Amino acid sequence: MSSASPTLLPQARRRKRNPWPVILGGGLLALILGFIVFGNLSKSLEYFVTPTEYKAQTSQFVGRTIRLGGLVRNARYDRQSLKLSFTVTDYGASYPVSYQGAVSDLFKENQGVVVRGAFNSAGVFQANELLVKHSEEYRVPTSQADIKSMLKDTK
Amino acid sequence: MLNLLSFQSSALGTVGQLALLAALLFTLAGLWLAVLGGVKSDPRATEGARRSVWAVFGFVTLSLVILEVALLRDDFSVRYVAEHSMRVSPTWVKVTTLWAALEGSILLWAWILSLYAFVLSLTLRRDALRPWALGAMFVSLLFFIGVVASIASPFTPLAQIPSDGAGPNPALQNHWMMAVHPVLLYLGFVGLSVPFAYAVAALVTGRLSEHWISVTRRWTLVAWAFLTAAIVAGGWWSYETLGWGGYWAWDPVENASFIPWLLTTAFLHSLQIQERRRQLKAWNIWLIVLAYSSTVLGTFLNRSGIVQSVHAFSNGPVGAVFLGFLAFLLIAGIALAAWRSPYLRDEGTPAAALSRESAYLAGNWLFLVFSAMVLLGTLFPVLVEAATGKKTSVGAPFFDAFAIPLGLGLLLLMGVGPLLPWRRATGEKLLTALRIPGGAGVLALAIGFAAGLRSMGVLLTLALAAYNVAGLVVLTVRAAQERGNFAALLREQPRRQGAHLAHLGLVVLSLGVAFSTAYKSSAEVTLNRGQASTLMGQRAVLENLEQRTYPYGVSAIATVTLGGQTYTPRSNVYVNGGNTLYPTPSVHYGLFGDSYLVTTNLDPKGQWASVRLISSPLVSWIWIGMLIIVFGASLTLATPKLAVRQTEGAGAGAVAAD
Repeated sequence: MSSASPTLLPQARRRKRNPWPVILGGGLLALILGFIVFGNLSKSLEYFVTPTEYKAQTSQFVGRTIRLGGLVRNARYDRQSLKLSFTVTDYGASYPVSYQGAVSDLFKENQGVVVRGAFNSAGVFQANELLVKHSEEYRVPTSQADIKSMLKDTK
Repeated sequence: MLNLLSFQSSALGTVGQLALLAALLFTLAGLWLAVLGGVKSDPRATEGARRSVWAVFGFVTLSLVILEVALLRDDFSVRYVAEHSMRVSPTWVKVTTLWAALEGSILLWAWILSLYAFVLSLTLRRDALRPWALGAMFVSLLFFIGVVASIASPFTPLAQIPSDGAGPNPALQNHWMMAVHPVLLYLGFVGLSVPFAYAVAALVTGRLSEHWISVTRRWTLVAWAFLTAAIVAGGWWSYETLGWGGYWAWDPVENASFIPWLLTTAFLHSLQIQERRRQLKAWNIWLIVLAYSSTVLGTFLNRSGIVQSVHAFSNGPVGAVFLGFLAFLLIAGIALAAWRSPYLRDEGTPAAALSRESAYLAGNWLFLVFSAMVLLGTLFPVLVEAATGKKTSVGAPFFDAFAIPLGLGLLLLMGVGPLLPWRRATGEKLLTALRIPGGAGVLALAIGFAAGLRSMGVLLTLALAAYNVAGLVVLTVRAAQERGNFAALLREQPRRQGAHLAHLGLVVLSLGVAFSTAYKSSAEVTLNRGQASTLMGQRAVLENLEQRTYPYGVSAIATVTLGGQTYTPRSNVYVNGGNTLYPTPSVHYGLFGDSYLVTTNLDPKGQWASVRLISSPLVSWIWIGMLIIVFGASLTLATPKLAVRQTEGAGAGAVAAD
């Protein structure tokens, strides 16, 4: 705080308040929160990756929740048990994906797809959410860059 | 140069655009008159500024009405109507299309702002703050009317007039909440412009005493009540239409409405310290500047496309302009406060560590940290991408990690605050006062544990809820006994009793959030027509599956009996929405839990349907809690009827004189 016009409050009692309780309290609160949040960050920060990126940096993403995007191949879906399995590919690498839940008719072979989940120990991507990119002007992604932008735009 | 006018292409659009330009002109004139009135202390200039507000309000109303008429009459010569409406929509959708896209929603924002300015111009007292409060409103008006009259004008001429429009976003045609939630939200957001204007006026004139605070308390409360209602109504809308059985997803735009709520709630508490104890002058100024700026930040975030959100409109120059306005508000606020810092010094002795002031201040810190963390989480993906180039998303666990402890901390302080006296409390007194609430909390914890609850968050919420309710009951019973009956208490202290009621509503809401989040369960199955299946232990049969065709789309309606009750979930396809399915779940509401059935996939031949059943306890408590909060908040607006005894505090007197 500046003291631009000292004549304003001539009799003001300028009390020197001890700033330490506030600083310590605020610092402690920030520290605890930082610890809570960043301790959980590896669990809560989801990276958007393509199969090729996963292949290149497997160690970084193993066991974490990620969003994997690519094209659907070899889709098998059983309507009664709601079991879905398919392969996701980006022309560079391919990984098997399994999912439990209803799938809309928009889910088709060669369709772009973004799945949310994690790889299990057997190397199968266990998806717990299926985010199919669908819109009128939809076109099949044909390159890494297309898949990246699809990953980014899918909510 | 923008091409804004063309009589040939659209007469209606031209009139609308001219009305906006006239409003802009009167805004500029009003701003000039207000500053003149303030600098020269000339009441004639101030009166001119006041009347300019009426002209601005009139012209913005005219352009709003014109756009609504164009929507209802399917006048596709008006750009906004051509781009966002269509002939076949039902009338209520055409009405709400006014705020279903960018330009219209900014026009609605500008209109509500001019409405608030109009009401303010009628209620302003004749004092030194008057010209500057009007001037600050004109600055806000200048920005919003400037944007809607130029880069985001709904009326700019079209090169070619289509025979039918493109129609509104299908997701916004799906539920009648479209008519409620956005309007409430804007009433809440824009309502904060008035306390902000008063804060600016107080800074400019240097009259930073309790006056501006007591005048703005009601305005803030009104905005806060609308904001609370809007946030919860948005949650209910999402619950009713998105089909995942949830109501809050930490979506960037949800966060953008939550941050102003947190800051305003903090302000509503800290202003009482200034009213009663003449302290926290600088703090209050900062809070309201931040709260108002955060409403602009929210709009910037979801209009600029820098964060991915379900609410995002198309990208455009509007985001950058909002960022500029945000920067302007913050810089102007900082500059004014720095200039007036000698006036912002607090007088009197600071409160003791154990006092109501301290509880409020600690709560304020929690609210402030809470909003900073929400902002951090919202922007985190942007920061990570800027630093590492990797695309990421921050999920609910990130937010829950701090929202749960902070929320519990706030519940704790909420219970202790009203029990503490102003200025100073002794440790023994506090312990005595806490005996009943504390006992109730421990008892609730034990009962919850015995009943089999094991989730830490839920158990603590339960305990803190019991402790809060017990504290409020003790306070109310004691106060009512002193006066003989409860009605007298309400008449005498509507403010305090309303606040207590709002606290009670928040307790009910927290219980709803805790239980519905922790104990939500769901199951999915494909039902074949006429063939019984089991879903969460209940017999489920698909009785019927029919398609109903409307001019604007097709609804597939499934009739499912589940545990003896009939559910009719729908799946809708809109003519302008491609083949995307928009579900309308069928919800059986109950006081202790909801059953929520949504179709996830359908057989076009009507032989089978995949459904998901979601069961979550106490969801209704969230909506009920919101109603209690809003009722409590409106009670605090009432003027206290002074009994023979003088009610305490200078604050009550100032409000009564208001």
